[in-house]
Amino acid sequence: MSPEPVQTRIFEEEILSVSDVSLSFGGVKAIQNVSFDIKRGEIRAIIGPNGAGKTSMLNVINGFYHPQEGLIRFKGKARRRMRPSIAAAQGIARTFQNVALFKGMSTLDNIMTGRLPRLEKGIFGEIVNVFLQAAYLGPARRSELEQRKYVEEIIDFLEIQHIRRTPVGRLPYGLQKRVELGRALAMEPELLLLDEPMAGMNLEEKEDMSRFIIDVNDQYGTTIALIEHDISVVMDLSDRIIVLDYGRKIADGTPGEVQSNQAVMDAYLGVPHE
Amino acid sequence: MFYREAGQFKTTYKSDQALFPIAQDRYFVIGVVLFAFLVIPFFITDYWANALLLPFLIYALAAIGLNILTGYCGQLSLGTGGFLAVGAYASYKLMTSFPEMNLIVVFLLSGLITALVGIFFGVPSLRIKGFYLAVATLASQFFIVWLFNKVPWFFNYSATGQISVPPREIFGFLVTGPDASPAITYLFTLTLVSIFALLAKNMARGNVGRSWMAIRDMDIAAEIIGIRPLKTKLIAFAVSSFYIGIAGALLFAVWLGSAEPTEAFGIDQSFLILFMIIIGGLGSILGSFMGAAFMVLMPIFLKNFMVDGLGLQPAFSEHVQIMLMGVLIIFFLIVEPHGLARLWQIAKEKLRIWPFPY
Ligand SMILES: Nc1ncnc2c1ncn2[C@@H]1O[C@H](COP(=O)(O)OP(=O)(O)O)[C@@H](O)[C@H]1O
Ligand SMILES: [Mg+2]
Repeated sequence: MSPEPVQTRIFEEEILSVSDVSLSFGGVKAIQNVSFDIKRGEIRAIIGPNGAGKTSMLNVINGFYHPQEGLIRFKGKARRRMRPSIAAAQGIARTFQNVALFKGMSTLDNIMTGRLPRLEKGIFGEIVNVFLQAAYLGPARRSELEQRKYVEEIIDFLEIQHIRRTPVGRLPYGLQKRVELGRALAMEPELLLLDEPMAGMNLEEKEDMSRFIIDVNDQYGTTIALIEHDISVVMDLSDRIIVLDYGRKIADGTPGEVQSNQAVMDAYLGVPHE
Repeated sequence: MFYREAGQFKTTYKSDQALFPIAQDRYFVIGVVLFAFLVIPFFITDYWANALLLPFLIYALAAIGLNILTGYCGQLSLGTGGFLAVGAYASYKLMTSFPEMNLIVVFLLSGLITALVGIFFGVPSLRIKGFYLAVATLASQFFIVWLFNKVPWFFNYSATGQISVPPREIFGFLVTGPDASPAITYLFTLTLVSIFALLAKNMARGNVGRSWMAIRDMDIAAEIIGIRPLKTKLIAFAVSSFYIGIAGALLFAVWLGSAEPTEAFGIDQSFLILFMIIIGGLGSILGSFMGAAFMVLMPIFLKNFMVDGLGLQPAFSEHVQIMLMGVLIIFFLIVEPHGLARLWQIAKEKLRIWPFPY
């Protein structure tokens, strides 16, 4: 990874803002009064010890969990009750901490599923679509070929041409994570949420994955929110970092600022609380 | 080296997305279809049609239907017999209420009516899964059979409670009723089954099929990437029931000619068709045909071999059949969930490198 210090990039437009969000499960307070924003085009990291509420935060952002309190604005619009399918349609894609691919399908088909939400139609359109697909007629055939073309670009980009036809269940873990990134990219997201994309990878695989993340951000201009435990990767990749601990935000700033923050060091070094 | 993909490079996505991208597969399928359409009708007898070919084709269609729901979309159903009954009774009511209605229209409408019933019974699938869904579909099986037994309107108040198909023609050829010739009933069934198998294959390999398989493999992930579970499952229930409904109409109107709900559409049918897709291959159109062929042929083969060949008691041969079926189902469930279709694929892979072991 690049040894020279990363230039501070400046971002103006806010794509997502989270204000005073709290989420609890029964008695467990997973997130408590957390606020932050994500600017369009940046790579924003969320770090913190296990159980800090990082995954829960992503689940709130893409509408899978419903916070009891707080407000979330995406692209300037405040949202009420969110559902994952709506969040996906609005441009939020994600990968999972434990790979969540469709095991019985090939790499190609898995990534093709990422195109499905773009093809959502009303109930009538959906029925017509089933007939067109069944007969593989005009529009259905054209749309299939268009999607295939888009997906092949992603396959080239992620350098996974050789496993195109392999059922993903047979792939090693590192490649599965890459396919999962491909599926999220196929959704053409504006905001991409990555939950520990490098967990369980060796150094070389981590470097590949870091490069893909930088390239996605660079070439597609995709905004990225990233959860990662490897602190050196985080320092290298991210523009700004949020630190969570026990469901609370304890720091927020550039890598330099966060590194010199005492509370962060305490949380990471396991200094007992009070 | 009879069977090889090497050297067949695809230069466009279009040819790579073709129905059978490998030339040998294409020739094989074309060969089988030509033989079925152009050769068999000249030699077919009543026995071949009624004991082998009609049941094989009709069960294959029903198996495709169940495979769409269970093999592709992962929703276990034990209501197949009930949906067959809906298709059969729909065709009966349509044929007797509208004697002028074209037979093709009768069959399509029977499929559509069954699709609506399927959607109705599919709604609970949003909330209940796996074993519990299977039990719910089982309830629908019993309810439907009970309904057709109890409400005389469905069997036109006939004294026996049975339904019998009236004779109907298409393009001047008699297709239904006792006087229909085996060549005609066979060709009619073959045409419908071939067309619908092709349509099913197209759905399975396109977006519709991908959304089904995504729900099957991991419904939560599918939902999070934006696939709507209820819509996807209901489409699977609708398409699946449509296929099973048409199979039911064929089973009653073209094959059996008359039917009584408990006998023809009981829970045994549900299990028989489920076994077909387990043995043939879950999530495979080809496997649906293989499973149907296997389950239709095996009892006949066993009977010929054990009773006529070895001179054993028919009851003994039946017991062997049940045991063999149990063993096979356990084998396929545990060892090879993709069934005969997958074994066939492995055989092809071996042929490709034949005669070399690697
Ligand atoms: N679905 C859930 N039900 C109950 N508790 C949950 C659920 N999801 C997360 N939690 C709890 O919320 C807290 C934060 O978890 P999580 O967001 O997964 O942390 P992290 O990703 O930072 O390791 C943990 O105490 C966890 O047990
Ligand atoms: Mg986590």
